[in-house]
Amino acid sequence: MLSKQITKEELLIVTAARQIKNGDVVVLGIGMPILAGAVAKNTHAPEAVLLMESGIVDFEPRTLPTNVADATATRGYGYAIDLFSVFTTIAYAGYLDKAFLGVGQIDKYGNINTSFLGIPPEAQRVTAAGGAPEFYAYAKKTILTMKGRGFVEKLPYMTSPGYLGGGDERDKSGRYTPGSGPDILITPKGIFKFDPQTKEMYLDALFPGVNLDEVRADIPWELKVADPLGSFPVPKDEEIVFLRQLSPISPFKNATARKLAMEHIKRQMEEKAAAR
Amino acid sequence: MNDFGSSKVMTAKEAVSRFVHDGNTVITGNYTESLPLSLIFEVIRQGRKGLTWYSQSGAADVEFMIASGGVEKLCTAFVHKWGGRGAGSMVERYQRAGKLQVEDYSNFTYNARLAAGAQGYSFMPVLPAIMDSDVFKIRDYMGENKFGVVRCPFTGREIPVVPAANPDVCLLHVQRADKHGNAQHWGGLGSTVHACLASKTIIVSCEELVDFDIIKSSPHHTIVPGFRVSAVIEEPYGCHPSELPGYRNPDTVMLRVIEGAFSSEEGLRSMFDEWIYGLPDRASYIKHYIDVFGVETLHRFQAKSYYSAPANYGVAFESGWDTYGKSIHLGVDMAGLEQLIVEKGDLVDVK
Repeated sequence: MLSKQITKEELLIVTAARQIKNGDVVVLGIGMPILAGAVAKNTHAPEAVLLMESGIVDFEPRTLPTNVADATATRGYGYAIDLFSVFTTIAYAGYLDKAFLGVGQIDKYGNINTSFLGIPPEAQRVTAAGGAPEFYAYAKKTILTMKGRGFVEKLPYMTSPGYLGGGDERDKSGRYTPGSGPDILITPKGIFKFDPQTKEMYLDALFPGVNLDEVRADIPWELKVADPLGSFPVPKDEEIVFLRQLSPISPFKNATARKLAMEHIKRQMEEKAAAR
Repeated sequence: MNDFGSSKVMTAKEAVSRFVHDGNTVITGNYTESLPLSLIFEVIRQGRKGLTWYSQSGAADVEFMIASGGVEKLCTAFVHKWGGRGAGSMVERYQRAGKLQVEDYSNFTYNARLAAGAQGYSFMPVLPAIMDSDVFKIRDYMGENKFGVVRCPFTGREIPVVPAANPDVCLLHVQRADKHGNAQHWGGLGSTVHACLASKTIIVSCEELVDFDIIKSSPHHTIVPGFRVSAVIEEPYGCHPSELPGYRNPDTVMLRVIEGAFSSEEGLRSMFDEWIYGLPDRASYIKHYIDVFGVETLHRFQAKSYYSAPANYGVAFESGWDTYGKSIHLGVDMAGLEQLIVEKGDLVDVK
């Protein structure tokens, strides 16, 4: 049941949270994935095992960490290992059910660029590879999130391979966990999935207030669309209440949250000055 | 007061001048937490040049080092956009201007190079999917030596490999260490242990210098043994403004100052003058912080304690004798033992 007013940010987080099943072993990155993991663990998936690649395994997010080894995540957790062991003994050995990855640019087969918007060294950087290539290769399923409009026909730099050229190319190469790859892409406009045979991305659902033309405008290829369109998950009060308790800035876009925080600092300074 | 009268205990200034040289390969030992910033500021103050730097995660450590002009080559796996999306990071700006060569690995392959180095292998197998990535295909200063490919003698399959990395110097900040250099660190360690053990020289700064008694009651927290460490510096706030479990959260007030400075060249110069060149050591850095932001701001980020349950390392017998002074195996006291020796021992005349 939902009785509260909610924001777009909250809808995206809950959509991501619903991808986690009870008992899943899930690797989370900073930002939305942490919030999604926390919501899942505290509502429908209490036995999910949440981990970060720095070797913090089976932790409970208690606020929004600033980095993947943040001290707020190490106040009580189940299993302390190192990065090398996370990738080998958990991911490559076949025990990682889900990975969440943020996307800079993506093509129709879910191949991802998070490195350069051209050819290095002259090209502008996005960030770099981080843990993405190997988590994407060996997690049984990956949930992608993308804030910008990074759909491209051809990636200038492929950081993390998705379904490569589509079809069974990924599985046939023998270099990946069989059956792995992107499951879903969540953007502010909608939910995308991948065709089981061709592995081509298609639009599965639109978020409220968005029409199909607005989605097509971002995409340089002829986008396939589910018929009929699927639906987005409607958040429940318990998810929203938990989320706001965990992170009071989570309902807002980053820029808005930053602006509100600056206004708070300004008010504090003025109060201090007035008190003197 | 304890007496830590050992030659390994020294100041950051002394450690850097003795162990970090122009042209060295230096690695930030810590992952994204507990950055050894006191040591890094000292390297900058001493003006080291021509360095090859290893930094996994594009945190403030590498931004400061690049901006100091002392780094020629960088090996990394992630670059944070410190100056914002438009301005980009120092790494990005220097790379695009041709002033810095950057070799990009993934977190795992970066760590694998250090794991090989730490374990004494000349290379390390890595996970095969990387061969489809441009991380494998596009190469900078490492050229052909960035990755190799071998064939498994048992399955016949192709396996990508990375060469070992053995930096000259590792800079590390931890919660506590003793005068021998036994360094204890807990939290999200990432590739910290491999970074340390791969390196030829390790410099450790710590929040607290403790007796060996503390170390030996908690050996599971020791990440580097003293015999590998060259210098130990007791340096409270040595990783400020980054976080350290049990001590403090990230100091977001100072991080905002840094982030602001990295968005323009002038901002950066005045930041370096005020916070690095203008202050001789970490104690004066913290004093300056208190002058600028107030002690209450510093304390806002201080950790509330949450102790690890003690692990019981106790044993039944602490020697071959029981609490009644009898041999556990022979059931006799010392006089009885000496009698047994005369009766049953293979006596030898050495007089």
